[in-house]
Amino acid sequence: MTRRWWELIAGPFRASWRAGLGWTILLVLLIVSTVAFWPAFRGSSGISQAIDQLPGPLLKAFGLEDFGTAAGYLRGGLYEVLVPLVFAAAGIVFANTMTAGDEDAGHLELFLAQPVSRMAVITGRSLAVLGWLIVLTLVTVVSQLGSDALFGVPIDTGRVLVTIALCALLGAFDAGVCIAVAGASTRPGLVLSAGFGVAYSSYLVLALFQLSPLLDPWRHVSPWDWALGGDPLTNGGDAWRFLALGVGAVLLAALGIVGFDGRDVRSA
Amino acid sequence: MAATSPLEAGTSAAATAAAAPVGGADPAILIEGLAKDYGPVQAVQALDLEVHRGEVFGFLGPNGAGKTTTIRCLLDLLRPTAGRITVLGLDPRRDGIALRRRLTYMPGELRLPERMTAAGLVAAIGRLRGGFDTRRRDELATRLDLDLGRRMRDLSSGNRRKVALLLAFLADAELLILDEPTNGLDPLMQREFLRLVREARARGTTIFLSSHVLSEVQRAADRVAVLRQGRVVAVGGVDELRRRARQRIDVWFDAPPPTEELARLPGLVDVAVEDRRVLATLSGPIQPLLELLARHPVLSLLVEEPDLEQAFLDLYKDAA
Repeated sequence: MTRRWWELIAGPFRASWRAGLGWTILLVLLIVSTVAFWPAFRGSSGISQAIDQLPGPLLKAFGLEDFGTAAGYLRGGLYEVLVPLVFAAAGIVFANTMTAGDEDAGHLELFLAQPVSRMAVITGRSLAVLGWLIVLTLVTVVSQLGSDALFGVPIDTGRVLVTIALCALLGAFDAGVCIAVAGASTRPGLVLSAGFGVAYSSYLVLALFQLSPLLDPWRHVSPWDWALGGDPLTNGGDAWRFLALGVGAVLLAALGIVGFDGRDVRSA
Repeated sequence: MAATSPLEAGTSAAATAAAAPVGGADPAILIEGLAKDYGPVQAVQALDLEVHRGEVFGFLGPNGAGKTTTIRCLLDLLRPTAGRITVLGLDPRRDGIALRRRLTYMPGELRLPERMTAAGLVAAIGRLRGGFDTRRRDELATRLDLDLGRRMRDLSSGNRRKVALLLAFLADAELLILDEPTNGLDPLMQREFLRLVREARARGTTIFLSSHVLSEVQRAADRVAVLRQGRVVAVGGVDELRRRARQRIDVWFDAPPPTEELARLPGLVDVAVEDRRVLATLSGPIQPLLELLARHPVLSLLVEEPDLEQAFLDLYKDAA
């Protein structure tokens, strides 16, 4: 890698270290504090029975089925909503800050006046977003596996890794949405709205459509379903889920990079 | 000093064609029929401009005249609605990377990364440009009285401007594009800036200096273009512009003033006679007036230094 490419990726990566540290602390606290309660649930048939008495649709919507099992507990407590939500939010915020946010703040102009192409600048920033998602993935893996060992959660490590990877890819997909919108618009508000809009609606589609036999087949349009619809903690992950999210993220980012190359750069 | 062209309002191409290039045959910047619209707003319209290699070219106009839009088109930050641009013989859109390797740009509206130190920013830009000479960096920092270890957010606007100036003059570029470079600089630093401009020019660097500070352009530039509402209304040498400027004349005679002769003198207007004192405004050469005064007993003569600002305002009055 040339020094120029290194700067295009590492520069925005370094500039986001505070945000990265914040997301890291949030993930560690979330995982460790949730897993720490596992011993209280383990073998406690009372709590499981109480949860099982909730209405079926509610159990489905919040992933609380089989809450007494290790997979059910981690799904309901972390991987149905919270961890994928953190990855989605982190991806959206990083992507927005490094593209439309920096453009709106006038920070891109000085860099775009250097001997680098616009495509290279935005590609570097997209890779910096990916870099932070990889860091958060590693943090999640270490926190989860460490907590599992510490608090005695009997769960298949491979399926945990698959689930975390799918959550990270969901974050990358939502970041891709932001980069695609930033390729067409210079407004950070619009980019954030698009990112969170897609993330929120894709969760709603997965959570609510499965409650209606009529709508259930349509839940597969949701990226959240591609990531977690197959209950990867119990069943592992199909290859197409990785492909759909990964290829989708790359295509969306490519769309944004091409869009940015073809339009005016906003002045400060 | 560059050869100057006759000042021709609104016919920049003709004006530039009449001027001899400072260095090299092909121009540093050639703009033909440039237009840039923002929706219904025409920021730049049918702009023609030629900047010769090795000259300091002043790009004058008030805020909103289209100076920054033109500059951003030169750098391919904006895509023109119409027209053709060639910078250092290259097309900014097609050959952007090669072109930006040969020029440096100092933005008018400075937004530098808040948390970076000046040294960090210089290093980052250096990595994108293939490295900087650290001795030259330190020398410039000393001349600009700039502490490179401080973060941008802790720097005053003047000190941030110094960081941008340092970056602009650090690279050994063929073309410097400076947009409002002395905004926020104190007078001492403005003088240092002018020294840097002269040194760069002596090395053969072309300098495109956009400003609404007329005195700065007057001191630094060989030629100027005056922009008004997105159009070039005049291009010419600074000396030419100064010659065109109106001068205030204040003469005390030792006898009744020759009012009839003064009234016939070409270019002398607004003549006011107060006993033996004559106040007037002169546009054009001063020689005929001096010849007239030589034939009469004069106690004192005061001629105010012609000011580009006045010439600039006159141009605007003419163009309106």
